[in-house]
Amino acid sequence: MGKKHKKVVVLPCSGIGKVFGALARETAYELVERVRPGVATTTCLPLLVINDPEAVAKVKENPVITIDGCPKECARKSVEAAGGRVAKAHEAIKFYKQHKDLKPEGVAEVNETGRKLAEIAARELAKEVDELAAGEEK
Amino acid sequence: MAEFLEHTYEKFIFKVKEGYLYSQDEFWANFQSGAATVGLTDFLQKAKGDVAFLETVEPGLEVKRGDEIGKIETIKATFGIISPVTGKIAAVNPEMEASPYLINHDPYGAGWIYRIELKDPEGDKAQLMDAKEYFEIMKNKIAQEAKKLYG
Amino acid sequence: MDIQVAKVGVVSCSGEEIPEGTLCRLACRKVLDERPGETVTICLPLFIAGGEEERTFAQNYPTITVDGCDKMCAAKATEMLSGKPARSLSVPEILKKHGLKPPDKLRHFGGEEEAAVQAVAEEIAQAVDEVLEEE
Repeated sequence: MGKKHKKVVVLPCSGIGKVFGALARETAYELVERVRPGVATTTCLPLLVINDPEAVAKVKENPVITIDGCPKECARKSVEAAGGRVAKAHEAIKFYKQHKDLKPEGVAEVNETGRKLAEIAARELAKEVDELAAGEEK
Repeated sequence: MAEFLEHTYEKFIFKVKEGYLYSQDEFWANFQSGAATVGLTDFLQKAKGDVAFLETVEPGLEVKRGDEIGKIETIKATFGIISPVTGKIAAVNPEMEASPYLINHDPYGAGWIYRIELKDPEGDKAQLMDAKEYFEIMKNKIAQEAKKLYG
Repeated sequence: MDIQVAKVGVVSCSGEEIPEGTLCRLACRKVLDERPGETVTICLPLFIAGGEEERTFAQNYPTITVDGCDKMCAAKATEMLSGKPARSLSVPEILKKHGLKPPDKLRHFGGEEEAAVQAVAEEIAQAVDEVLEEE
């Protein structure tokens, strides 16, 4: 029995103004560029709002993991509004709560400590990417 | 009576709930038949940022107005929860353990922290500000902060 | 509604998919940090998802949008949700004007990318000056 291999879209909120927006973005990039290249992919959140056909198709045809910087959950809401399927929704602050010794700083981009936290977060999310890519969604 | 007094500064809308009483330490008390629900003001939660950790005291503890009855840690700061009233902790908001972000999301409603059985409600009320009085203090604080930032 | 001194809202595209998106963010942040009394950052995702404060500000103050590509999401979303921006800047056009290459990485910009960040930040600052003069 073959297993489906899909792309998995990892969508951060990229909120500017709070460190957790920057942490969400760094975590997504870590997954896309280093931890799960070729499987994890991303798209621009505002493209969903302006109904860009490619971006909308991407989130409708593939499972999506959202990483939001605050409880307002902009990434999750935007994907759902575009008709996409949010398979897993996370808040970036959760990773800080689990690793209190790594306090991130920076608003447009996280600092070195934030990068370390993003690396850990990406490794944790990699398991979800693998499950979703293999069609083993829980 | 409008539900909130509102003050806009830049893109931020600071709210003060009518009918609550306020301490100088930026905590509110909602008095209801022998007890008060307490929490922090919209101004304080905006100033300090998203709540990551919350440390609370146990129900049953006797507290005095001005006592520290817990700690809040955000990405920006760690600060004490200062009781605006005197009495006994009757309950801690059960949602706080899983969802401390409610303090930011709904500081005057779902983000309440404690219910306190009151020992001296009239004495407490005399020391606290009503919404209009606190609103003026809050506006001054915002203006002072802006002066510090922008000169 | 009490509104204090004239300010400009700067709306950066979030541009997760392209290096110019990161360039936008860094340049906008630079301007915000250097001109705190005159500029306010509008979080585009929050603005889009219904943030009351972001939308109210954008309705009452002029906005400058900064986009990383020709899809112009920040400009379009701002116009859709609160009104035409006072200025709409395009990072590709700015880079072309200054004879600069776009960055080739999504994150962790260094010295090589600094010229591009500076050029975009200067264009944003100039736009801020022009808009404030008009107010």
